[in-house]
Order: sequence, then structure tokens, then C-alpha cells
Amino acid sequence: MSRPTTATRVGKGVAVALLLVFTLFPAYWMLVSALDGKAGRGSSFVPADPTLEHFEFVLTDGGFDVFLRNSLLVALGTVLVSSLLALLASVAVARFRFTLRTQVLMLVLIVQMVPLEALVIPLFVQVRNLDLLGTLTGLVVVYVALALPFGIWMLRGFVAAVPVELEEAAYLDGATWGRMFRSILLPLVAPGLVATSIFSFITAWNEFVFAMTLLGGETQNYTVAIGLRSFFGQHSNDWGAIMAASTIITVPVMVFFIVVQRRLASGLTSGAVKG
Amino acid sequence: MTSTLPVAVPAGPGQQPGPGGRRPLGKSLLARVRPWMLLTPALLVLAVLLLWPLVRVGLFSLQDYGLREIVSGEPNWIGLANYVEVFTSEQLWAVVLPNTVVFAVLSVSFTVVFGTAVAVLLASLGRVWRTIVSSAIMAAWAMPAVTGTYVWVWIFDADRGVFNHVLQALGLQDAPVNWFTDRWSFYAIVLLNVVHHGFPFVAITVLAGLLGVPKELLEAAEIDGAGPWRRFFSVIVPQLKQIFAVVIILSTIWDFKVFAQVYLMPGGAGSNREVLNLGVWSYTESFGQNRYGFGAAIAVLLTLLLLAITVVYVRTILKEEEL
Repeated sequence: MSRPTTATRVGKGVAVALLLVFTLFPAYWMLVSALDGKAGRGSSFVPADPTLEHFEFVLTDGGFDVFLRNSLLVALGTVLVSSLLALLASVAVARFRFTLRTQVLMLVLIVQMVPLEALVIPLFVQVRNLDLLGTLTGLVVVYVALALPFGIWMLRGFVAAVPVELEEAAYLDGATWGRMFRSILLPLVAPGLVATSIFSFITAWNEFVFAMTLLGGETQNYTVAIGLRSFFGQHSNDWGAIMAASTIITVPVMVFFIVVQRRLASGLTSGAVKG
Repeated sequence: MTSTLPVAVPAGPGQQPGPGGRRPLGKSLLARVRPWMLLTPALLVLAVLLLWPLVRVGLFSLQDYGLREIVSGEPNWIGLANYVEVFTSEQLWAVVLPNTVVFAVLSVSFTVVFGTAVAVLLASLGRVWRTIVSSAIMAAWAMPAVTGTYVWVWIFDADRGVFNHVLQALGLQDAPVNWFTDRWSFYAIVLLNVVHHGFPFVAITVLAGLLGVPKELLEAAEIDGAGPWRRFFSVIVPQLKQIFAVVIILSTIWDFKVFAQVYLMPGGAGSNREVLNLGVWSYTESFGQNRYGFGAAIAVLLTLLLLAITVVYVRTILKEEEL
């Protein structure tokens, strides 16, 4: 269409280079500091003294192995429960026309916007009354609620995309609704279920406000997001360890994001929530 | 990222009658109850864990609710006293509201303008470079708020941060500066953090829309003598109106409730009263001072603010597609 001159080509190259630097610098700097034995004592942009000692420290004496286990347990529990509930609910709203259907969808959409700071006070009291303060169970219960609206919203699109004709063919062959669900719908929405599960996983993995509030002083139950704070000292911070731990937290999320990036653009605008 | 249009899997007209419509009569009751059987577990969870707490935060905000009330469970009604205190507080008007609203306006503008610029750049790139750059953008998006914030804190660290190092090496400043004490530089760092984390969503969404704009429209405009700016604002922007509306409103909602990005910065957890925003103020009053009732009143204000924006959002979505 337009004739690319040398000037626009160079300009575009510079823009891409600047964009890449801006986009990747924090992640790069995190990695460099994590690998640098002298993190912060020099000002070089490559590790001055490459070593894995920060990672070793974090995973042994730092107690991050325990935090990782806790986070995995919480995230898996959240994924299992919230995906199941979201799948059932999304089939209902995508496949059936019933009274109040629009109202239910509206409700799901609106609760996604509620700020966590408004929920944290009553949920703290509620979890305290249930005697679940400081436990991983209490955290899973809350995270299921946080992950659910988005899960329903996103899966709804995937369920609606399955052609109704397939279902009808199953009925013609004499399948019951349950059989059709298991043999037709479930396999076909499996990719959507994977994407939704990844989002629930990330929600639970990254969450910070509730973990901080509900776990309180129970250090042995800390998840990774608040476990990080244990490397902050009264007077000086162990930045090498903090960045090594941050790397451990960030890498799985980045891998997941790149895996689902294709579904992201479509799922997000219909689901409309940030991970 | 090639042809994914943002209007994902629209509910086609073909599926209007659910299975209930064509089942034998005897099963029609089951068919009518089935959606509710499927919905009940999810609705129960939402009701108990999201709706009831929302009601309760409203109830708390009308009480002098402290540790004693939490332990005893006895209500302690004081009417609207918490709200009166919030609205007459110097802190709200001089610090908290500007920190929340001005920050949200600035960060939404920066995020949307920058994200759109990146989308336009991406659309003009070849396949290979587009994949490389959008993968890098995904990496920025994937960075969790907690670790992302710590990395920015580390970059701007007063004693050993790389930012101060570089400024000193370039001779631009003599001694290290603590960027976290001043309200403006504090929020400049939060802004950088939020824009860095928020622009990928805008870029990827707008890119999907850009790729869907018919080439013929742009060519026709070019033949009619429209320059690149004119083509962008007169052809592309009207085509992507819905997408821009969604992106702007969602960014607004997210940027109004930034919490971790402020709370985890040095002084951000309440010790520096100059940098409080609505969310952090509510949290520190509740869990720092044990004034849960007062904190709840602030939280209600934030919720109402977001609810107003959400209503606009829902109406935009409703115009776009049938739910």
C-alpha cells in the first residue's frame, strides 16, 4: 500500500528495539540480579559474578520449597473446584434459555468488578468464624470464589462454540443428557477448560491481599506471593534472594501465558478480566 | 495472533432452542430444572463468598466495628458516623482521592495511547517480528503484580538500585536519591509499573481489531488522499469504537483499584500517609488500626465508584452482542 522508505524502515527498527528493551528490562534485570553473586554492588548489566547460590539459598534455608508446595496445593485445589463449578454453570448459560438467564450473566459480570479491598474485611471475619484463619483450606475457599466468575464467563464462549447439531445427533442415537455431556460436550470444550484452568491457577498463584490477611503469622502456610516478604530485612534487603525467588514465581506464569496467548485475545474480550 | 477477532465465538442463532425444546413431554420438567441444577453450585459459592460479604461490608460501615465486635459478634451501630468522618477528612480530599482518581486518569491515558501505538506498530510488522515482539509483550503481561512491583522497587532502590547507579555514572546526580519518599516520584514509579503491566492487554486487543479492519476501506481512503493520521482517526478508530470502549473502561476499573503496586512499595503500606489511595487507606485503617467499620466505609465508596464505571461497561457490552 504505502511505499516504505529507508527512513520509515529505520524508524520502525528503532521503535521495535526500544519497545523490546522497555518490555523485557524488568524481567531481564530480575534474572541478572538473581544470578549475580554481587547483586547491586556493581552497576554492570550482566552478572558480575555468575552463581546459583541465591537460588540454592532460597530453596533451602529460605524456606521457599515449603512456600512453593503450599502455593501448588492451593492453586490445584482452586483449579479443580472452580473449573468444575464453572463448567456446569457455563453449560447452563450457554445451552439453555431460561428465565433470569440474562440476570444471572449480569450478576457474574458485575461481581468481577468488586474490589478485593471491599471483600477482604467481611471475608476475614467469615473465615475467622469458620476457624479457618491461617489454613490453606480457607485460602482455597476464597480463591474459588475469585476465579469462578471469570471461569464461567470464559467457558461460556467455548461451550457456545460447540455445534448444537452434534448434541442432537447424540440424542438421535439414543444418548441421555448425561451421556451426551460426557461424550460430546466435555471433549469438545476441553481446550477451553485448559485455558480456564490456567487462569484459575494464575489467580491463585499470584494472589497477595488475601494470602497476607488470612494467613497472618502462620509462616509455614505462606504461599509464594507473601513468602517473598521474608527476605526483606529490617535494615537491608537481600535483593539477590528476592530476585531469585521472584524468578521462581514468575517463570511458570510466563510459560503459561505464552502457551495460551492465542486463546487469550479472543477469550479476554469476551471474558473481559485481567489474569 | 494472526486472525483472532476479538468478538469471540458469538452465540449463533442456530442454538436458540435448547435441548429442552425437543425432548418428549414427560422430560420437560427435568429439562426446565436442569439449567438451575447446573447453576446452583456456582451461584451458591458466589452468593456466600461474594454477595453476602458485599452486604456485610455495607453493614460494617454503619458500625463502630473493631476487634471487640469481631470477637463477640455483637453489632455496634453508629449510623452514618463513619461516612461523615470519611467525607470530612482532610486526608480524603487532599491525598487519597487525588491519588486514586488522578492516578487512574493518567495511567488509563498512558496505557491506552501507548498500547494502541504498539498495536499499530505490530500490525505493520512482518510475521516473524510480530511473533517476537508479541511474545515479549506477553512476558511483560505475565509478570505477577507482586514480583513486578518488587523488581521496580529494586530498580529504583535508593542505595543500590540500578537507576541511581546509572544517573550517577552519567554525572546527572551527585548522591543517591530516595525516590520513594516524594509523593510525585512515588506515583511516577507506580505509573511506570502499571503501564508496563497494563499496556499488553490493550496492544493485543487493539491489534486483533486492527487486523480485522477491511483493507479495501484503507485503500479507498488512501486513494481519496487521506494521510496515515487521517486514515487512523477517520477510518480505523470508528471501526474499533467498541473495542476502544471496552479497553478504556476495563483499564479504568483496574487502575482504580491498584493495591499491591502501592502497598508493596517502601512506605506504601501506610507509613507514608502522603501516598495512600482508596484501597490502601481502607486496608490499613482496617487491619492496621483495627478500625474495620471505618475501613469498610472507605471500601464501600471505592465499590460504588467502580460500580458506576461497571454499569457503563455492561451497557457497552450489551450494545455489542446478545449476552
